Amino acid sequence: MANVAKKVSWSGRDRDDDEDGRAGETTPLLNGTGPGAAGSGRQLTPSSFLRIGQLSNVDLNEDIHELETEVSRQHPNEIPHNEKLLSLKYESLDYDNSENQLFLEEERRINHAAFRTVEIKRWVICAMIGILTGLVACFIDIVVENLAGLKYRVVKDNIDKFTAKGGLSFSLLLWATLNASVVMVGSLIVAFIEPVAAGSGIPQIKCYLNGVKIPHVVRLKTLVIKVCGVILSVVGGLAVGKEGPMIHSGSVIAAGISQGRSTSLKRDFKIFEYFRRDTEKRDFVSAGAAAGVSAAFGAPVGGVLFSLEEGASFWNQFLTWRIFFASMISTFTLNSVLSVYHGNAWDLSSPGLINFGRFDSEKMGYTIQEIPIFIFMGVVGGILGALFNALNYWLTMFRIRYIHRPCLQVVEAMLVAAVTATVGFVMIYCSRDCQPIQGSSVAYPLQLFCADGEYNSMATAFFNTPEKSVVSLFHDPPGSYNPMTLGMFTLMYFFLACWTYGLTVSAGVFIPSLLIGAAWGRLFGISLSYLTKGSIWADPGKYALMGAAAQLGGIVRMTLSLTVIMMEATGNVTYGFPIMLVLMTAKIVGDYFVEGLYDMHIQLQSVPFLHWEAPVTSHSLTAREVMSTPVTCLRRIERVGTVVDILSDTSSNHNGFPVVESNSDTTQVAGLRGLILRSQLIVLLKHKVFVERANLNLVQRRLKLKDFRDAYPRFPPIQSIHVSQDERECMIDLSEFMNPSPYTVPQEASLPRVFKLFRALGLRHLVVVDNRNEVVGMVTRKDLARYRLGKEGLEELSLAQT
Amino acid sequence: LCRVLLPALALTLALALFGFAAAAGPRQTPALELAQELAEELWSAGLPGDLPELEPECRSLLAAFAEGSAALTGCLGRRARPVRLCQGCHGHYRRLLAQYGSIASAVGNSSESHNCAKSILTSDRLQIVVTLSEFFNETWEAANCANCLKNNSEGLSNSTEEFLDLFNKSLTCFEHNLQGQAIDLSPSNYTEVCKNCNETYKKLNDLYTHLQRINRQGGESAHSAHLCIDVEDAMNITRKLWSRTFNCSLPCSDTVPVIAVSSFILFLPIVFYLSSFLHSKQKKRILILPKRIQSNANLVNIQEKYS
Repeated sequence: MANVAKKVSWSGRDRDDDEDGRAGETTPLLNGTGPGAAGSGRQLTPSSFLRIGQLSNVDLNEDIHELETEVSRQHPNEIPHNEKLLSLKYESLDYDNSENQLFLEEERRINHAAFRTVEIKRWVICAMIGILTGLVACFIDIVVENLAGLKYRVVKDNIDKFTAKGGLSFSLLLWATLNASVVMVGSLIVAFIEPVAAGSGIPQIKCYLNGVKIPHVVRLKTLVIKVCGVILSVVGGLAVGKEGPMIHSGSVIAAGISQGRSTSLKRDFKIFEYFRRDTEKRDFVSAGAAAGVSAAFGAPVGGVLFSLEEGASFWNQFLTWRIFFASMISTFTLNSVLSVYHGNAWDLSSPGLINFGRFDSEKMGYTIQEIPIFIFMGVVGGILGALFNALNYWLTMFRIRYIHRPCLQVVEAMLVAAVTATVGFVMIYCSRDCQPIQGSSVAYPLQLFCADGEYNSMATAFFNTPEKSVVSLFHDPPGSYNPMTLGMFTLMYFFLACWTYGLTVSAGVFIPSLLIGAAWGRLFGISLSYLTKGSIWADPGKYALMGAAAQLGGIVRMTLSLTVIMMEATGNVTYGFPIMLVLMTAKIVGDYFVEGLYDMHIQLQSVPFLHWEAPVTSHSLTAREVMSTPVTCLRRIERVGTVVDILSDTSSNHNGFPVVESNSDTTQVAGLRGLILRSQLIVLLKHKVFVERANLNLVQRRLKLKDFRDAYPRFPPIQSIHVSQDERECMIDLSEFMNPSPYTVPQEASLPRVFKLFRALGLRHLVVVDNRNEVVGMVTRKDLARYRLGKEGLEELSLAQT
Repeated sequence: LCRVLLPALALTLALALFGFAAAAGPRQTPALELAQELAEELWSAGLPGDLPELEPECRSLLAAFAEGSAALTGCLGRRARPVRLCQGCHGHYRRLLAQYGSIASAVGNSSESHNCAKSILTSDRLQIVVTLSEFFNETWEAANCANCLKNNSEGLSNSTEEFLDLFNKSLTCFEHNLQGQAIDLSPSNYTEVCKNCNETYKKLNDLYTHLQRINRQGGESAHSAHLCIDVEDAMNITRKLWSRTFNCSLPCSDTVPVIAVSSFILFLPIVFYLSSFLHSKQKKRILILPKRIQSNANLVNIQEKYS
């Protein structure tokens, strides 16, 4: 007991003391944590009483099952990575508040006025999210513009110099080396510092809003890497855009601001402490994602709908209104800062990172006869999108299996950058499509082999940032591109973009898709006006727009939000109808072949993602078949040693533990009393809230909800908590901290019912009980997500360590 | 005479008033014409001009404007090809601007309601004077003539003069060198020209790029990104002659090294992927058996159950 008394440590500050003490006493603890056989003796202690509940109804198979488990643990079953896996790495977020006594006490203390303050704080946070997201977007835009301008000027001067003298291969080498070295830096920081910043970040945010905790996804470090990575990969000339990553950036900003502190910087501003839990954070993250979309495309409504589409299972109208506020602030901030930067202050004419330019309804109006043509373009977009996704699927699978070392990933990114430059150069070199330089608004006109006063029109497409190329495809007057150029460009860019997506660089797929689509759409428009002898369909620009919409829809398969985003980005409401038709067709056609790019990547990452509804043919599965059993339970008053052992057991990395009545008599019914989370247990152990200490009046103050919040979101691992041998014999009373009213279902509940409860409430644990309220099993996200509708009916995914 | 005239006068008044009242009406122009004719008759008959009619000052201003615009139109038309608008017509344009200005600011001596600006510029639907002047302004803007004129738009600026001198020099050079070969008439035999005029052409080209750069740095707004049309067109003609007709700018195409370098770079990824496929250890996932009630609740079972 003396030992217990000596070890009064209320926070992690005196970790040194802990560690000093630990050196002498670690041995038993480490033995307990070890995965070897040594733990088995101790593990029996919890499991022997944990089975109390099942003894009545467990069948004889169980022993065999246990044996199998033991065997397989000795010889781990190794398989190559495939899409039918669920990774153990991903955990759920706790959207459901743990309604324990502490929580109820705090909520009761907050009066009406205080709730109003909280509401005002929410609005303030949303405004800050909007402003900061807009500023980050400005920063990215300005830096990219300047760096890319510098690069293109250098290369252009070089090419101009060598065109006259000969030795263009040096220009090619210069271009390729510049690209590769810039991309190398971008890829290095992503691969070695923060791998989660790779890609567009939309799949990750989708998962987050779905309720999956992706490690590191909303950290400040990720934001920094993401922003730098995007700048470098766009400047590096990859076939990528900077729009997708804005959504991720907005989310990180939202998550950071709403917590009022940064764990990376180790700064706590002591504000917004009320929002330090997953429920509130998720709301702000959805606002951040909306602000990101709105900054990227100048589409505030589209941003709100994006959040709605991706995280809509938990929604209310006040939240929607707040999110809309954040989006508007974000696009307004971007707009005003950029207008100041461009020298015409308060003009407010550049609402988004990508600006599709003005689509005049007079010049680019459409007639009813064109609707079938647009729908046909949607079909083409769906097919091409499916092709894109299928190719990218194989590539990603290959990458996961073979190119998993960071240095290989960096080399791959560099190679792609070099090849992109080479392909661009060769295309420009071979192209004989010259256009007069006068009256065109080309930023970097490359003459190359054209006559003086003309420029190479292939170079406008390749020798430019993708955003600018998209806009010039939309708006350049008819005749600026010849069909051959467009065809070759589409073909090359399709493969380049497909190859690029999934590299270890942070980059989005929106702009490349738009660019591919705009190129073939324009080609389509030109050939159409050629076929009809140029009667009414004179302007290929609107076909470029529809092609872009079709291609993007075919690749990402977003519906409502994408329609609105495109509509807002063009600033023309009359295009809403054809864009909607095109996107619908593209989605229908594409879904026939293969699923959307983001869903595909979520699946390939083995994320336990819950879709809108349970698989349609799953009605005859019941909770009994779905649940995991046996469940590791805790008694209401539990021995500390047992708790530590359970938490340390690496083979069962559980996060929620049902709490049962603590009677030592094993024959009696041990009914479910509540549910306690691993994080709560760890905080309890850290603060040493033991019954004996309370009896000895050693506890200076009661534990408050604040202590749990301070530890959020990075709870220390159990290994860092030191519990001495004497303390192991103490008892811990969980009744005050457990959630006394967990959601439960009976064994007979069908899978769709369980699924609905789980998805709609954002649960993390669902306890399955029998009719005597004894714990029979536990349903978690992974138990539900493993059922999936595959090609041949219902499939079951297997769990794997990744 | 009075008996004849009075009804006519009444008619005139009525018509004129009708024309004023229904300024947007379809019948106003013939009505006005009619009124005009009748008014002229009245004038010739020596009647006092208290009709809704232009005052003499205004009439003369209008006449000056008409002459000025006719002169400018003629100038523009004559100098359309090769484009010499800014050099030739800036005087006309300046005069027309002044005339328009005097109309817009002139106030007739009788009363405010009768000032020239109002009666000439805004009293009918067509507003032909305004339209004309807008047309000239727009043309001038589009041609970007302000760019090659002096700041007070009197005469060409120095750089433009210099450029045009050089342009004329190169044209004469072309002519001189072509005279010898005119008999040959074979299109590939312009090597003389290329050799002899290369220097002048280079100078011209450099000056043009220089002017462009200065222009781009100076003016930030979009429309001043172009040089004035005279300079642009002169350069265009020369460049076309040089590279299309004479075929002088033959860039040395080094296809072989480019192909070599590019195929080397394109070859690298293949090597990379092959080597990583062959040498990299395939990533294995360790399967974890879930704890379930029935160990036979596997895929096959489900398939049998539901198919």
